[in-house]
Amino acid sequence: MRFEFTSLPTQKGEGALMPFLPLILRFGEREIKTHGLLDTGSTVNVLPFSTGLELGSVWEEQKMPVRLGGNLAAFEAHIIFVNALIEGCPLTELAFAWTKADNVPLLLGQTNFFMEFDVFFSRSAMFFEVMPKGANP
Amino acid sequence: MSSAANSTASISNATQLLPALRALEQHEKLYIIQFLAAELSRQQHEFLLPEGVYPVWSPYDSYEAAEVMLQAIKEKQAKD
Repeated sequence: MRFEFTSLPTQKGEGALMPFLPLILRFGEREIKTHGLLDTGSTVNVLPFSTGLELGSVWEEQKMPVRLGGNLAAFEAHIIFVNALIEGCPLTELAFAWTKADNVPLLLGQTNFFMEFDVFFSRSAMFFEVMPKGANP
Repeated sequence: MSSAANSTASISNATQLLPALRALEQHEKLYIIQFLAAELSRQQHEFLLPEGVYPVWSPYDSYEAAEVMLQAIKEKQAKD
């Protein structure tokens, strides 16, 4: 499935265009529509604190701590499993580091988004394609 | 259209501008030079501005976290 590069409402200009992937997150009975930034440089998927709360997850009940580096090193994080629905792809379970930080977008990183999906980028043509791993392009 | 054809068309467009540019007053020609210099500079540095803020969120070095998460995924898959 092909998607266009887009920018956050607060950002303008061609330089602000990023590969934000529209997706639906499901956690228990809750479901939200959101966007994830495809970040090949990110070691893990990252779920912002408020998004986790929107999904109905309870911070105090988390039991799988994980330590993040970079800008997020100062914030606590826990592993959380969330089902993701992306247009043209089957429902896929993603593991996120749910961070206490909110100044971060939802990041789709190597573990385990890029392990589950194959992605082709064309920044010059302003599109990217996402398909389940192993699917023919 | 090929890149060679594009290039030829661009030169043709620029050539058509020359008579109009020649007819300008000296101060107008200076203004055009300044405009083009600023335009070239803007195009080259459009995406990196002094004092600009360019956030980088990637936890790019969190290999330990990735290992812990992979282990959690494996354990969950075994349970499911």
